[in-house]
Amino acid sequence: MKPSYFISFLLLVLLQVVLFNHLHLFGAINPMLYLLFFVFYRFESDQTLLIAFSFLLGFSVDFLSQTGGAHTIATLTTGFLRPLLIRNAFGITVETPQSFFSDSRILNKVFFLILLVFVHHLLYFILAYFSWESLILILKNTFLTLIFSLLLMGVTLSFYPSKK
Amino acid sequence: MQRILNALLQFKNTVLYLFLLLLSLLFIYNQSPFHGFSLEKYGFYFSSKLFSTSKNISAYFNLKDVNKKLTEENEQLKNFELKENDILLYPEALNQKKRFPFRVVKAHVIKNSFQNQRNFLILDVGEKDGIQPEMGVISANGILGIVHSVSENYANVISILHQDLKVNVRTTSSPAFGSLLWSGQSPTEFHIEDVVSNAKIAIGDTVITGGMSSYFPLGIPLGKITQLKKNEGSGYYAIDLSLFSDPSQVYNAYVIENKDFKELQSLLKKLPQ
Repeated sequence: MKPSYFISFLLLVLLQVVLFNHLHLFGAINPMLYLLFFVFYRFESDQTLLIAFSFLLGFSVDFLSQTGGAHTIATLTTGFLRPLLIRNAFGITVETPQSFFSDSRILNKVFFLILLVFVHHLLYFILAYFSWESLILILKNTFLTLIFSLLLMGVTLSFYPSKK
Repeated sequence: MQRILNALLQFKNTVLYLFLLLLSLLFIYNQSPFHGFSLEKYGFYFSSKLFSTSKNISAYFNLKDVNKKLTEENEQLKNFELKENDILLYPEALNQKKRFPFRVVKAHVIKNSFQNQRNFLILDVGEKDGIQPEMGVISANGILGIVHSVSENYANVISILHQDLKVNVRTTSSPAFGSLLWSGQSPTEFHIEDVVSNAKIAIGDTVITGGMSSYFPLGIPLGKITQLKKNEGSGYYAIDLSLFSDPSQVYNAYVIENKDFKELQSLLKKLPQ
């Protein structure tokens, strides 16, 4: 376990809670940057630890922004499903990268990010609205927030070198 | 134990995920009243489904008890019905304290026959239940016979499908009485004898018990008149009757105890023969 995980964890939670949860772009859109943790966490690292981390991550965001528990469940489930998403995005080959940054295929990376954010946001908004009558609202919010989350994540990731 | 541990280790991610999911569900339930309410709604839905299923299952197994209770209730209702029959025919007696000496004991027919000319029934009640010889036996829709002999737990009943058994009957419209007697063929076809030919009787009249015997109270409905012939020579009607219910297809029966039976018998003995 590397200390950088803790640092990025704390940093992402703080950024999310202090800054991005109060953004309210176009009225209600709060991009969720803290999903970058699933990108920083190396693909080869322990999956059990990731589940524990993702629970803590969601819980911290929920706890510090006084929301119900939607972040916790969405983040936990995304963490649990991450190996599946990786397999879908990068394929089961010998080329399966050890981390997000060790791969050079832009398209696969983007696809992975989209999958990750989509699963998380869909779950989050389903749990936030928690009624099937507002299905349209759920989908609308999911897609709008997905766009801004992806933009923000793309911008943040562009600061990182592509090869480590 | 080792195997359980191995399985747990193999699926440790899933187990951990489910555990944490449960934890976060609890969290969401406690944190947000809206989610709590929604979850309760789902929980209520599932628990009501489960409850109704288990209720259905247990209701099936309770059917025997329910049946027993219903027949007990029927027994009481039969008591009232018999009393009411009497009152309906003589409404002026409604406000008077009229003696009603009959009491009903419920029973089940455990053996029945109709192929012979002289048929018998066996009931699952006996001396233990207070059954005595010469008590009347009725069903929900008519009469079944008269108790012939009793053992401790069973009673032998002369069926109404017995050529020597005659029951006192009348119609609802006329107090003229006659004797009901089986024709010996179909279990619902009966004759009525000894009705004087000046009585006002028509086809379709309802025939009820006459109340002149000490076996049956007045007014138990039996059947309808299907054929009516005035026999000029004898001065009596020849009446054919169809019963409301087939006495060969009865399970629930009621034994009628007449509390005044002995009194009436001793009175009859005093008559000059």
